[in-house]
Amino acid sequence: MGKFNFYFGTAAGSLLLAAMVVIGELYAPFKELLASVFSHHWIGKLALMSAVFFVISFLYKNKNSIGKYSDENIAWYSVLASVIVIFVFYLAHYFA
Amino acid sequence: MRDFVLFGHVILGLSLIVFSIVILLYINKKAKWLKPLSIFTALISWAVLLPSGKLYLTFYPATKTVIKAGTWPWAHSIIMETKEHWGLLLPLIATTAAWLVVSGKNEESKRWWILLIILAALIGVMGRLVKIGALR
Repeated sequence: MGKFNFYFGTAAGSLLLAAMVVIGELYAPFKELLASVFSHHWIGKLALMSAVFFVISFLYKNKNSIGKYSDENIAWYSVLASVIVIFVFYLAHYFA
Repeated sequence: MRDFVLFGHVILGLSLIVFSIVILLYINKKAKWLKPLSIFTALISWAVLLPSGKLYLTFYPATKTVIKAGTWPWAHSIIMETKEHWGLLLPLIATTAAWLVVSGKNEESKRWWILLIILAALIGVMGRLVKIGALR
C-alpha cells in the first residue's frame, strides 16, 4: 500500500461525490447521462468516485501536502464537508 | 432472494462497526492481527456495496413509491437520498484507515475508524427510519 497516498484519493473522491450529488439534482441531464452510461446514476457515481480515488491516490503517492495544508487535514475536512453537504443539500432540496 | 441480500447487507454493515471497535480497542497494543483485520475491514467496506446496490436498484423502487405516497415522504427525499450517498463514502474512509494501520500510523488512523463507526451506525439508523417510513 506504499504505492498510494489514500489521503489525496479520499479528498478527491469525497468532494467529487458531493459535487455529483448536487449537480445531478440541479441539472437533470447530468444525472441522466450517468444513468445512460452506467445503467443507474448511483452506479455511475460509485464508478467515477472509485476511479478518481485510486488514480489520485496513485498519482499523488509522493506528495504529502498542498501549500501549508497537510494531506491528512485535506482528506479529513474533505470527507466531513462531503458528509455535511450531501445531508444539507437533500434537506434544503426537500423544503425548497 | 430479497431476505438473503438484506441479511448480507445488515451483517456486513454491522461487521464494519464491530471490527472497527475491535481495532480501536487493540490499536495501542500493536497486536499482530491488527493489519490483516484492518485490510479485511476495508475489503468488507467495498463488498457491502454489492448487497446495498442490489437492494437499492432492484427492491427499493417499489418501497420508494410507497414511501412517497405515505405520510413520511421525507423518509425517501432526505433520509434515503442521504443514506445511499453516505454509504459510498464508507470504502474511502475504511481504506484510508486500513492504509494508515498498514503504514504503522496507528495513532493517525484512530479518527478514521471512529468516523467509520459513526457513519455506519447513522446509516443503520437511517435504514430503520426508511423502513418505518414505508409503513406510514
